[in-house]
Amino acid sequence: MDDPIHQFNIVEYFTLGHIGGRPIAFTNSALFMIIAVAGITLLLVGTQRSLVPGRLQSLAEMSYEFVADMLRSTAGTEGMRFFPFVFSIFMFVLFVNVIGLIPYSFTVTTHIIITASLALMVFFTVIIYGFWRNGVAFLKVFVPSGIPIYILPVVTAIEVMSFLSRPLSHSVRLFANMLAGHITLKVFAGFIGLLGAWGALGWVGAVLPLSLTVALTALELLVAVLQAYVFAILTCIYLNDAIHPGH
Amino acid sequence: MSGFARGMRLSAELVGGVVIGFVFGWLFDRWLGTSPWGLIVFLLLGFAAGVLNVMRSAGVVQESRPDGRERKS
Repeated sequence: MDDPIHQFNIVEYFTLGHIGGRPIAFTNSALFMIIAVAGITLLLVGTQRSLVPGRLQSLAEMSYEFVADMLRSTAGTEGMRFFPFVFSIFMFVLFVNVIGLIPYSFTVTTHIIITASLALMVFFTVIIYGFWRNGVAFLKVFVPSGIPIYILPVVTAIEVMSFLSRPLSHSVRLFANMLAGHITLKVFAGFIGLLGAWGALGWVGAVLPLSLTVALTALELLVAVLQAYVFAILTCIYLNDAIHPGH
Repeated sequence: MSGFARGMRLSAELVGGVVIGFVFGWLFDRWLGTSPWGLIVFLLLGFAAGVLNVMRSAGVVQESRPDGRERKS
């Protein structure tokens, strides 16, 4: 049996080229990203467009409605200009998480470099769009209104730190949830094999970890969808700061 | 949201603030050679920022939005 973290190994399939002497390889991570993107494209483009939607078509429409409602309720109507951005992030994280639950597949979001890239992309989008749209007034995001002047420097420093810590908690949350879930799943599934090797008594004992594994799989499906939702709604909340910087 | 997910989320917020405070304090000290004062000040600021993050995402501190509705998270 492989150890529980064997599933996170990066395997290089072939090398695409070199940048600065470092090989740029096509890995299993890249493969599953492409599978996720292909799945999203198939869902959104490949389904038939009928007036009475079929199962897949209503799934595509539901995902649109869901993200649009989320964005409107957190960032207002003006936030809708970021709809393609938020929708892409939500669908990508959702597909990558759910595809990762299929046995023998690879979960892209269990590597912090992926979640950190996504979070930093959101972070810089907020900063660049905030300054582009509001100019210096974007700095109001660090200055809460109604604060006495003598504690303002301290509060502003804390707000700056709070702002800078966002990409960290944004990325670590998704990464840690997916990593912990997949390790737990693997450990409990490993108990089944260990107990089963003990003979008849072990077979009876193995019922417990087996039922736990089934339950955990259901829980992981919930976590996969929930974390995609949390990642997307935090993106909306951060984008709201760029659009309406005053507290 | 389940209790576990909520706990993960809030702890990530707190740890995020403290870690950023540590990193900035450490870099500040390395840059200006003020060890250990930069680390002390930035760690405290980072901890305060982490607590602020937690209180915000737990909804203890309400933030009003421009149209007067409360932000939901």
